[in-house]
Amino acid sequence: MPENSEKFLEVKNISKSYVGVQALDKVNLSVNKGEISCLVGENGSGKSTLIKIIAGVVRPDEGEIIIGGKEYKHIHAIDAIREGIQVIYQDLSLFPNLSIAENISLNHMVERKRKAISWKEIRDIAEQEISAINKELDLEEKVENISIANKQLVAICRALTQDAKLIIMDEPTTAIAQKEIDFLFSVISDLKKRGISTLFVSHKLSEVLKISEKVTILRDGKLVGVYNTKELDHDTLSFYMSGKKLSNSAFEFQEKEKGKKPLLEVKNLSKKGQFSNINLQIKSGEIVGITGIIGSGRTEFALSLFGLNKPDTGEIYIDGKLVKIRFPRDAIEQGLSYLPEDRLNQGLFIKQPIENNIVVTILKKLINKFNLIENNKKYKYAERWIKELNIVAPSLDTTVQALSGGNQQRVVIAKWLATHPKVFILDGPTVGIDVASKSNIHNLIRKLAKQGMGVVIISDEIPEILRNCNRLVVISEGRIIKELNTDEVNENQLLDILAKKNIRLIR
Amino acid sequence: MKKNKNSLRILRIQRVFKQHEFYLFIVIVIYSIFIAFLNPNFISLENLFDLGKSSAVMGIMAVGVFVVLLSGGIDLSFTAIAISGQYIAANALIASGVDNIFLAFLISCTVGISLGAINGFLISHYKIPTLIATLGTSSVFHGALLTIVGTRAINAAQLPNCFKILGSYNVFVLTKPNGVEYGMSVFILIFIFIALLTWIILKYTMLGRGVYAIGGDLNAAIRSAFNVRGIQFFIYCYVGFLAGIAGVLHISLIRYGNPTYLVGDELNVIAAVVLGGTRITGGTGTVIGTIMGMAMLTILNNSLILVGLSSYWHTFFVGLIIVISVSITSYQNSKSTGNITLRK
Repeated sequence: MPENSEKFLEVKNISKSYVGVQALDKVNLSVNKGEISCLVGENGSGKSTLIKIIAGVVRPDEGEIIIGGKEYKHIHAIDAIREGIQVIYQDLSLFPNLSIAENISLNHMVERKRKAISWKEIRDIAEQEISAINKELDLEEKVENISIANKQLVAICRALTQDAKLIIMDEPTTAIAQKEIDFLFSVISDLKKRGISTLFVSHKLSEVLKISEKVTILRDGKLVGVYNTKELDHDTLSFYMSGKKLSNSAFEFQEKEKGKKPLLEVKNLSKKGQFSNINLQIKSGEIVGITGIIGSGRTEFALSLFGLNKPDTGEIYIDGKLVKIRFPRDAIEQGLSYLPEDRLNQGLFIKQPIENNIVVTILKKLINKFNLIENNKKYKYAERWIKELNIVAPSLDTTVQALSGGNQQRVVIAKWLATHPKVFILDGPTVGIDVASKSNIHNLIRKLAKQGMGVVIISDEIPEILRNCNRLVVISEGRIIKELNTDEVNENQLLDILAKKNIRLIR
Repeated sequence: MKKNKNSLRILRIQRVFKQHEFYLFIVIVIYSIFIAFLNPNFISLENLFDLGKSSAVMGIMAVGVFVVLLSGGIDLSFTAIAISGQYIAANALIASGVDNIFLAFLISCTVGISLGAINGFLISHYKIPTLIATLGTSSVFHGALLTIVGTRAINAAQLPNCFKILGSYNVFVLTKPNGVEYGMSVFILIFIFIALLTWIILKYTMLGRGVYAIGGDLNAAIRSAFNVRGIQFFIYCYVGFLAGIAGVLHISLIRYGNPTYLVGDELNVIAAVVLGGTRITGGTGTVIGTIMGMAMLTILNNSLILVGLSSYWHTFFVGLIIVISVSITSYQNSKSTGNITLRK
């Protein structure tokens, strides 16, 4: 790669510490012109601090940043932008109330210190950038009405209006489906042709391996190494990130009592426009995976089981008994639990302490004879679950927002386990969680199944499903198109099934 | 490509139907026809001019409140600012003996901008929640006015002539067949001018787009290098400025100055703006919607009198309309996001 070897960005010996914690310790990173590289590491490894330093938002304690041959001791945010560094944060920083065109063009105009607005200019700039990435979007549509994948493209286009030479994307693929990820990757490959570099920050190993040419790995604030992607595979990468070998064995289901009624049985559940004729059985000790692209109806189906999305027709049986579930209250009483995909907004009260989050499902058990909540009991319950699930936190009254993703998810799990569910539905149980915590959570789920719980995992991460479930169903356009045991397929066959869903639908 | 353009056009038309303003317009038209059947006088030009004149004061304040709501804030102090501007200006004119309406506007608007600047400073500099800040300053402004400037009412005899001239000044005059003259008050012209000015600021200046931006997502606006402090400061000064104008029009309309008037009407004005489709959470809303919201409330009030119902019904109906209209909007929003209420 002779024409690519020119360095655009070089970060040398960067260190940064926050009150006693060494966030970064003499870290190096470099990005060549037109290169697609990845920055990986677990939560707390210092990735975000490093990005913020490059973007000029955080000032390093020592080290230097060289951009296009120019040396900076510490760079200001505005210099970083002028040098062509654009960061697309996970929240995308778009204006939901404004049109696509304005979202793309406004930053450009702010930077040019415009006073007046030319709507033609706004439209022209947006049109040009959108067509440059081979996408068609209705420029007048408000951003709040478009999909997350399209929002991401809007954010990329906005970065391009500012003469971006390096686009840093923070966890861009957490919330979008496989097809959209593919399009995103094709856009990034096109950017490469235009000489624009991309730095990916990601947890998802399979994607890191697929898109990047070079991988920089951080662990505990230190540089583990810089590798050519070709040298890496899934296992070595996760080893470098976590420093641990992770178990890879698949989950095996052992049916204890043959012929027993399933814990949960769903018959012909339908809701117009979302899913139709879903039949599903979950036995004690089983882990059943549900997969399908976002919008396939999988989450809507799960919400229906939990009383949050009233189905039109169909029946739900628990322990062989027909039950009516109209509200989450009913579902909980029947022994169902649901861990939502959106942990922060739906799974937790993030500004509340851990103990309150854990006991929220069992407040009735904490009541004393005056009908008031007894703090002692609350404390005991919370402490028990923190121990049981190894939640790492300074104290019980730490707010949940201060915890890492993995520990937050364990709080959500604890909250539901406290209700002693028969069936536990987990929607995206490891979204945005680092490799080591991920494997902890998977082990925990397996343990629950071994103890006789019925578990449903909804996920679009194929390896997660294959490794942790004994059976899986594929949902497409609201119908179950395939139901099989996980030992009957491998990853590629399953991807094929997902991709060829249309053909299978006709059959 | 051509097919594509057509589908875009259809999308655009669909968007109009999704808008709150569209439905409000339909409601106003239907309601007006209904009232006109009961009392044909209702849609006479004379009555419309009357309505315009009497609602101009509230309308101007509504436009100011609209800008604040758009930015994701709220202002409860604008009525206190309006009455301060009005009362100080009127007293200053009486004391100095200068009978000039432009001086009155100058004084009132200066007072308005200054008090607005205090709000703007507190909010942009100390990041005080706008509700708390303006709730506090509302009392401070009004309290200061009553203790320092006084509580004495200004009656029509004491009121400088220029106010009365403004109050009865018509841009043009028409004559009814029976010889009675009526005209379009200058109030309507001032209101139209202010609405237009606000629309231009919001639509065609970076400042205005900044108002939409910080109302949409404050953090994103900061990251996009908008001068957020400056924009917030401007917003509250602008509300103060409009309140100053409204103050002068108000005393000219009723030919009587009382420093306890206006204060307490905040919620009616805010209600009109919300009725006009402006989201209380910021970011969404239009000037035309605000005007229609104001018009709806004015027509309602007026029609009850024309139909012969007690004005106490007004309060009842205003509440009812707001509850219904906000319910419809929120129902539509939930429908368009696919009725899973959990999802944002």
